[in-house]
Amino acid sequence: MKKVAIVMRKAPYGSVYSAEGYRSIMGLGVFEMDVAVAFVDDGVYVLLKGQNPAKLDMKPLGDGFPMLSDFDVKQFYVHAESLAERGLTADDLVMGVEVLDSAGISAALAGCDVVLPF
Amino acid sequence: MKIGVLIMEGPYQHQAVDSAYHFAKAALARGHEIAGIFLYTDGVNNANKFIRPPGERNVNGMLDELGALGIPVIACSACARFRGLQKDMVSANIRASGLGSLAEFITAADRFVTFGD
Repeated sequence: MKKVAIVMRKAPYGSVYSAEGYRSIMGLGVFEMDVAVAFVDDGVYVLLKGQNPAKLDMKPLGDGFPMLSDFDVKQFYVHAESLAERGLTADDLVMGVEVLDSAGISAALAGCDVVLPF
Repeated sequence: MKIGVLIMEGPYQHQAVDSAYHFAKAALARGHEIAGIFLYTDGVNNANKFIRPPGERNVNGMLDELGALGIPVIACSACARFRGLQKDMVSANIRASGLGSLAEFITAADRFVTFGD
């Protein structure tokens, strides 16, 4: 089974990338892929608690991630420096994640067969 | 080597499709195989056969040329729906299909390369 990393790099709203990254996790997960998700740069905002994009007529993207464990997606890596640069900590996120420094993120991605950047 | 390709940006706004085309041609020239090209998000717009740029390269024609070589070129069907791209608008050597095709290319490929923003 191939191990695929989905890398969330962008904010949850303002462009389609993070929402599509989420859809790709669901989509690839059903095809027998071992899927890991990494959150870097503005991608850490995807997991921020208390998102309310109702005025954009959109659904809160972060809410879907805790449910992914039901689909056997259980590896979530968040870049420590990206969190710190934005004044965030792991407590600000919708779920428990593995917080890794740059070297840790690099190692996690290097351990995957394929990396898909969103 | 078998190489899978993902294109995430649409025609002319971004270089992704051009780079992917030239990458694929160069890889084929070196004796590599392209397992498949998946057009994702705005990338599906490159499948539109009505693209007719006056006096410029035709990015749909470029992808269609790769499809004519027998390389599977697949446009994400859900992304196509989001963008109003209908089946009869897709050029002859490109097909619409789901993320299963992306999974298939990933499985088949030794290396997988994304062209996007």
